[in-house]
Amino acid sequence: MNSIVLLIILSVYLGLLFGVAHWAEKRGNSKWTNNPYVYTLSLAVYCSAWTYYGSIGVAATSGLNYLPIYIGPIIVIPVWIIILRKIIRISKINKVSSIADFISLRYGNSRFLGALVTLICIFGILPYIALQLKAIAETFKVVTKTTGEFNIFSDTTTYVAIALALFASYYGTRYVDASEQRKGIVTAVALESVLKLFFFLLLGVYVTFFVFDGFDDIYAQASQFADFKEKNTVGGIPQAINWFFLCILSLFAIFLLPRQFQMSVVENNRESHIKTAIWLFPLYLLLFNIFVYPVAWGGNILFEGKSVNPDTYSLLIPQFFDNQFITVLVFLGGFSAAISMIVVSSIGLSTMLSNNLLIPYGFLGRLQSEVQEHNTKKIVKIRKVGIFVLIIFSYIIYRVFVLEYNLFSIGMVSFVIIAQLAPAFFGAVLWRRGSKKGAVTGIIIGFLICTYTLLVPYAIGITNADNSFITNGLFGIELLKPFQLFGIDYLDPVPQALFWSILFNTMSYLSVSVSFMGNYRERNYAEMYVNIDHHIATDENAFIWKGTAYTSDIQKVLNRFLGEERTKRALNLFRLKYNVENTQGLADARLIKFAENLLTGHIGTASAKILISSVVKEEKITLPEVLKILEESKENILINKKLTETSKELKAITAQLKKANEDLILKDKQKDEFLDTISHELRTPITAIRAATEILHDDDDVPVEMKKQFLSNIITESDRLNRLITKILDLEKFDSGLQKIYVTKNNIYLTICETIKQLKQLIENKNITIDLISERNIVKAFYDEDRITQVLNNLLSNAIKFCPNQDGTIAISIKETDKNIEVAVEDNGKGIDENDFEAVFDKFYQSSNQNIRKPVGSGLGLAICKKIIEHHNGKIWAENTINAGARLTFTIPKYSREIT
Amino acid sequence: MKKRHEQKLIILTLLLLLCFNMPLLLIFDNAASLGGIPIVYVYFFSLCVFSILISLLVIKRYYE
Repeated sequence: MNSIVLLIILSVYLGLLFGVAHWAEKRGNSKWTNNPYVYTLSLAVYCSAWTYYGSIGVAATSGLNYLPIYIGPIIVIPVWIIILRKIIRISKINKVSSIADFISLRYGNSRFLGALVTLICIFGILPYIALQLKAIAETFKVVTKTTGEFNIFSDTTTYVAIALALFASYYGTRYVDASEQRKGIVTAVALESVLKLFFFLLLGVYVTFFVFDGFDDIYAQASQFADFKEKNTVGGIPQAINWFFLCILSLFAIFLLPRQFQMSVVENNRESHIKTAIWLFPLYLLLFNIFVYPVAWGGNILFEGKSVNPDTYSLLIPQFFDNQFITVLVFLGGFSAAISMIVVSSIGLSTMLSNNLLIPYGFLGRLQSEVQEHNTKKIVKIRKVGIFVLIIFSYIIYRVFVLEYNLFSIGMVSFVIIAQLAPAFFGAVLWRRGSKKGAVTGIIIGFLICTYTLLVPYAIGITNADNSFITNGLFGIELLKPFQLFGIDYLDPVPQALFWSILFNTMSYLSVSVSFMGNYRERNYAEMYVNIDHHIATDENAFIWKGTAYTSDIQKVLNRFLGEERTKRALNLFRLKYNVENTQGLADARLIKFAENLLTGHIGTASAKILISSVVKEEKITLPEVLKILEESKENILINKKLTETSKELKAITAQLKKANEDLILKDKQKDEFLDTISHELRTPITAIRAATEILHDDDDVPVEMKKQFLSNIITESDRLNRLITKILDLEKFDSGLQKIYVTKNNIYLTICETIKQLKQLIENKNITIDLISERNIVKAFYDEDRITQVLNNLLSNAIKFCPNQDGTIAISIKETDKNIEVAVEDNGKGIDENDFEAVFDKFYQSSNQNIRKPVGSGLGLAICKKIIEHHNGKIWAENTINAGARLTFTIPKYSREIT
Repeated sequence: MKKRHEQKLIILTLLLLLCFNMPLLLIFDNAASLGGIPIVYVYFFSLCVFSILISLLVIKRYYE
């Protein structure tokens, strides 16, 4: 393809990406830019040009070894829910904007450690960026079928590098606060991640199903190669050990690579986005790897015997079949992978470079005396120039050094260097005692070992492959051979370098940390990092500081970097949060930490500390003092927790008591009403008796007829009184639990017939028809016959009472259900008010609507019925029939079931 | 998310670490074809799918 055409396509594509970035930056917080999917896809910046081209190269030439690069992350991603969330919380609270900030803050705001981490990152990542440029340059040549271009001005990569440098320095430094999120860049990277995956899958489908006839076809042809089996298995135990170290290496990389830290921590704007990333990101990696094997082996089959670079199989195969369209798409995919890595890495590195190296070591003095506008401009300018210089420097590395190495090996070297941060990094969040001295020692020793076992041999290897240093060791000592250090010969150079460097790194980190007493500030931050969940809401409280400081001094410093208006707003927020008086002249520890946090995003954590401590007078605190305070605050937290729990319990108990009290009041009222009614009910017959006896007593001339009438009245009323008292006693017995029922096996049908017989007189008096509906005339049930007779008597008497004087009918039905016998008594009277279905079973119930049912009788009958049925484990309820009559139904257990 | 459910994910990571390395890895270290794909690849891919499904399940069900 013509270079000019491809360049035009590239420019249009870049223009599109810039457009998306611009749009996203403007839209700010819309749901298109702020969602878990954009977050997850932006993490896919992990898949750089190395994944895109290098994997295929490795799969084609040396086999499975590219896989651990993805397996490491896949192994560790499930625990993101704990570790990454913790890191995000710590970073959010402390306004951390890079991994250098993160590590140096934890180890007591150490300026030196921040600078060291920055240098390690720059050492590790610059060759990596160079590698991306190399990939762009090489693939450009393949697509345009041109040969190498040695003139800087006609090399396309030069212009691509400059365009990227401009893009990154424009969108990457929009905010002077580096912990601010860059929506534009994130969205553009997410879009590129979709495109690169899509184009790669497209290529995979094309190669597998159009060039070849499916997986089987490729397998059948590829398995003819002599080395096929060897390349598609891990091999033996030594290879498996290599494999293990590569997994560990990539597991570190997913946390430590500056671009991963940038995307997963700094650009994270909602913690909950992790929950999508935990399953979606491994899925992304899986999809990316499905077609690597077919493409690699397809290439091996097609280009057998020809000298082509396997890294570029993905372009050569469609080109071989003259498919321009797919070739260009694949090229654009690889280009996307490369530029997103370059842009994100250079932003991350430049933030580190400015905040952790240049400002604290150089510019801080000058920044201190200037006004805010000037400072902001200056800081942004430092970063812009930083990004530019980094990319151009990588370009130089690409031009001078990496032309000879393949993608895979350079990437690996980068990973090993970055891995040196692992002990200090993981120690920071997991181990309280880890100290600055330990971290510094570990990183330096680790890096030196890397230099010896990897960097030096690689640097020498560029010009001299048969160097005596590599083949014979330093000073000709066998044990010091850089690739077989101390005689270990079964490890490849990269796993070997990782093993020795991490071993010494970790050991020195651990041993130095426990051997020397740390600084009190380290211990303070250690507590905040390790126990972040306790301090998340009121982080400033966890900061221990003693001394004198004036709010006005701190305000002045803040003014210089934030501007007066923002400072005022921030301080107001602070006062609101901690409820501090506005007029307070002396600043406390919380304000100092708050001010440091505000500055951290702008100038890095170390400079923030230096600035603040220049205006305050700190008193030395000893480590034991800090430990004591931390211990106390921990106890306080525990006590607080207990107190909250206790108060919760108390609340629950109070609620219960309240309810019990209400119940009691209700019961008391009911009791009063009960007594009222009962005395009234008792008085009626007594009054009647008394009236009759009085007449008989006072007047001897009462005629015999009348005398007899009076006496008969007295007997009736006494009977009534007697019945009433019996019922009250009955009810009382049930209430107090003294009443026992004696259940036996009985026939309810018979019992009903008996009851009807007892009431025959009453029924006949009112001319009522009785229907007894039952399927069988032997219905066995468990009950106390006397008591159930009482219930039936009651229900029937009621029904008789309420039946109309003409055409009264009472229907008694017996129904058998699974476990119970259901007996219903219905009349064709006036029915019961709907509101009173439950109340009819209350003692001395009297219908509120006297028109429907007039109180007749003692008012205790149904209450007793209810008690009896409940003692039988049954239920009783009232309802109205369709004809508006009343129906009262009760259940008793069937014969087959035991009563408990 | 409750501690208990977070621990499920930790166990998943431990399981993956074991399965992706020797000695378990060497059991499936075989280049014979399974539907046109060497067995060792099939093993890796199925482990990935397994991990994704379990993570998805735990997250959907227990993340608060």
